[in-house]
Amino acid sequence: MTGELLLEVRCEEIPARMLEAAIKELTQRTFEDLMGRGVGPREVETGFTPRRLVLVLKGLPARQDDQVVTEIGPPKSAAYGPDGQPTPAAVGFARKCGVEVSELRVKDFSLAETPLGSAATGQGKQAKAKMTGERVYAERHVPGKPTAEILAEVLPPILLAIGWAKTMKWGSGVGPWVRPVHGIVALFDGEVVPIELFGVTARRTTVGHPTLSPQPFDVADSADYRQKLAARGIEVRFDARCRTLADEMAARAAAHDGTLVDDPGLLAKLGAICEIPGVMEGAFDGRLLELPREVLGTSLRDHQSAFTVEKDGAMLPLFLTVMDRPDDPIGRVRAGNEWVVAARLADARFFWDEDRKVALAARFEDLTHLTFQEKLGSYQDKAIRLATLAPAICAALGWHQEESAAAEAARLLKADLTTNMVKEFTSLQGVMGGIYAREQGHAEPVWQAIYDQYLPASVDDRLPRGHVGIACGLADRLDTLVGMFGLGLVPTGTKDPFGLRRAAQGVLRILLEAQLPLPLEPLVRQAASLYGERLKRNADQVLADLRPFLADRLRYLLGRQELTYDEIDAAVGNTGDEAERTVSDVAARARALHEVRDEQAFLAVVLAAKRIANITKGQPDHALAAAALAEPAERALHEAHARLAAEIDAAVARRDYAAALRSIASLADPLERFFTDVMVMVDDPAVRSNRLALLQSIGRTLSRVARLTEMVVEKADYR
Amino acid sequence: MKSFQELILSLSQFWAGQGCVLQQPYDLEVGAGTMHPDTFLRVLGPEPWRVAYVQPSRRPADGRYGDNPFRLGKHYQFQVILKPSPADVQALYVKSLEAMGLDLRVHDLRFEEDNWEAPTLGAWGVGWQVMLDGMEITQFTYFQQAGGLDLQPISAEITYGLERITMFLGLSRSIYDIEWVPGGPTYGQVRHQEEYEQSKYYFELADVSFLQAQLDGWEREAKKCLEQKLVLPAYEGALKCSHLFNVLDARGAVSVTERVALMKRVRDLAVGCAQEYVASRERLGFPLLPASERREPDRAEGHGGAAA
Repeated sequence: MTGELLLEVRCEEIPARMLEAAIKELTQRTFEDLMGRGVGPREVETGFTPRRLVLVLKGLPARQDDQVVTEIGPPKSAAYGPDGQPTPAAVGFARKCGVEVSELRVKDFSLAETPLGSAATGQGKQAKAKMTGERVYAERHVPGKPTAEILAEVLPPILLAIGWAKTMKWGSGVGPWVRPVHGIVALFDGEVVPIELFGVTARRTTVGHPTLSPQPFDVADSADYRQKLAARGIEVRFDARCRTLADEMAARAAAHDGTLVDDPGLLAKLGAICEIPGVMEGAFDGRLLELPREVLGTSLRDHQSAFTVEKDGAMLPLFLTVMDRPDDPIGRVRAGNEWVVAARLADARFFWDEDRKVALAARFEDLTHLTFQEKLGSYQDKAIRLATLAPAICAALGWHQEESAAAEAARLLKADLTTNMVKEFTSLQGVMGGIYAREQGHAEPVWQAIYDQYLPASVDDRLPRGHVGIACGLADRLDTLVGMFGLGLVPTGTKDPFGLRRAAQGVLRILLEAQLPLPLEPLVRQAASLYGERLKRNADQVLADLRPFLADRLRYLLGRQELTYDEIDAAVGNTGDEAERTVSDVAARARALHEVRDEQAFLAVVLAAKRIANITKGQPDHALAAAALAEPAERALHEAHARLAAEIDAAVARRDYAAALRSIASLADPLERFFTDVMVMVDDPAVRSNRLALLQSIGRTLSRVARLTEMVVEKADYR
Repeated sequence: MKSFQELILSLSQFWAGQGCVLQQPYDLEVGAGTMHPDTFLRVLGPEPWRVAYVQPSRRPADGRYGDNPFRLGKHYQFQVILKPSPADVQALYVKSLEAMGLDLRVHDLRFEEDNWEAPTLGAWGVGWQVMLDGMEITQFTYFQQAGGLDLQPISAEITYGLERITMFLGLSRSIYDIEWVPGGPTYGQVRHQEEYEQSKYYFELADVSFLQAQLDGWEREAKKCLEQKLVLPAYEGALKCSHLFNVLDARGAVSVTERVALMKRVRDLAVGCAQEYVASRERLGFPLLPASERREPDRAEGHGGAAA
């Protein structure tokens, strides 16, 4: 194929976590830049290994088309005098553009799109902002450049500008880039594109695997490149490597009648740390299977980047990982990996045996030495607070049977922080405590609550099992939020060292997904009072900061359920008693708004609500004298309103907010008639006051479910 | 299979062949080869430098009374500094593995991201842990900053864990079983008593108030030396403080709040030494620079000038 660019940048091992983003950025920027210059490719292929970034563009034109570039000059008024003669400004502009003054023309750019030629020279954006009204312009004929020349211009700055998560310098101070660069292949239709990066110039030569096939070799084009790498066992396509690894590992697991324990994150890591996707299979001592599988799995995953295999729900004494080579000729790779795994698992066994010598209940005492937060005291102080707060949550939800189990679990919730296992594998906190509690004979709701306390941590996580788990999960996070907010440690910007956003999100997700009728404000007050004198702020101050913080997280969570911001804001702003408000109720209101928002009557009533809000803004409360309403339209409105009141009340009471909104929407017609026929701000103060009173009363009804004035209505939607 | 000392000999031989100063261990307690002044101070400033040495490294809290087959309170690092890092530093490292007797055609060698940071030295670098058949055998770091100063040129630091590598090559089940000398004595015969007694001392006997007073005293000495622009004695004071901090920590005598404050005291000394070291080398005219780039030494300071 003609019009092909093959680009390979070779460097020392790039961190696995950065590779995918880097190749995406390189590809997108190159594509956009070339498109902008009129030399876009028809096909794009990418690849990477720890040591290579590879970009192949196909179907590039041989050269740019010739262009007419429009240069925009000064305003007409500045370019020509009253006599129509060109001013020095016009003369200077013409000279700059390389045209005669007589060739300048005039056009009103406020009506026109920014000319394409100007955009292509990089002045487009500025031009668009400033160029308005009649201005002079010149057209320059610019011959198109050969694509090879454009590539040589475009590629180095794009490569240099890749936004690596962490960069370094090397040698005499060369860089910054992600790692030292060793070689570049840049070929356009077989010819070297003369680019240079950190003193390394492009050639047609690359190398194979550093220890298995280090000899340099030349490549002619992308097909030749791929074929020669394949002959050395190297696969540059990340997806293909992951697929090969997954298939091969599944086959190895099947050979033992087992199945691979799925872990997409780990697979992606393995795919990114090799260029030859070889599978390493090893075994460990079957007696270690006495250890909890959570421990074995975590040790193998965290220390050895290894997959585990299970059969009939039980783990097999096997592990599978990657080796950056196709085979293991004398079994040394396997022997080495098994040696390391044996040492790691021996550590884990030691921790397991040691940890079980001390009961969790005894570890509660050691928590005095473990600081939760300097000013908020130790983890024991926290556990004592939670032993009150978690049962209080149970009580508030009517789960009286579970109050004592919640107190028991709460006291032990953090005890595993003193275990060797959690010190070694911090990701096992909670889980380990749960396992030890189970071993030590604590009841199922208790150990499960400890096990599940950090759930849900990520998007796909389940909720804690059971009432006790939910109460403990809520109590722990509320205690942390209230404590930190009570010290004024409110997260700002991207800084959130205590993970408060995640804590808030955890609280909200539990409340939403378990649909708990639990108002938060009384709990926040109780959590604050449990801190005694430790907090710098009182409960009201804490709530003042916490409310918008929680509302923000709620917006984010509900936004993920395809509710829009205006629906959420309207629901958050409902006029109910704040102390009684629950998160699941807010969500129900938002969902109701989402359901009815496109109905014509509802749109009309939203507009009416906005109108009422405008008219009554800043007004004191007016008293309604219904008998004094004289106009038919105002009487009709009042009567419709009175008729609907009970219906709306009933729907709100049974939390059927869609029905309530539809009842409210049936006021649309009388409202429209009222606004057509009746003038509110009349001179007669009594009549005016009475009409304002009517509108205030209706305004309150309209916001029974949600603050409708928050809803965004496109005029076009309202026909 | 190489014994412990053969490993040391082959690495020494190899790196001496690359023009390294074959240095000896620093004669004070340090936690890592990085803290040897021939690394920590020499990576500062413009002068080129190549050095290789073994550094016994004390980590009191890692001691296990000689009971744990994988953990030691003192282990031996083989440390290499190449400044500036040559373009082929990775290839040189691979050759050093071959010099150890490894046939890399039958092993799996990978470089996995592992960035190094030593807050008490105001130092950080970018690099990898080098994995051989799934085992970490080396820390490979491009130093970016030391003593809070940006570095230029950049040094490559290669740190081999000698016990681990010897153990791994022989697939030994215990550190104490590896051969120090071919045919014996073993590592255990050479060092086990020391591991036991030092653990006992660090964990059970060390006198906390005495150590705290020592730390305060060495901090004063270091500051005094810094004021007199005696950077090497000042740095030794900083090393003393760092080690005393580690002992107090192993003894369980450092609370969370104290830890932060103590680390800051050590860091301040290290940063002070780093800055003063660059100034002192500048006064000497950066004597390790090639003649064409060297500066005139500032003789008014009374140092030995080019003799340094």
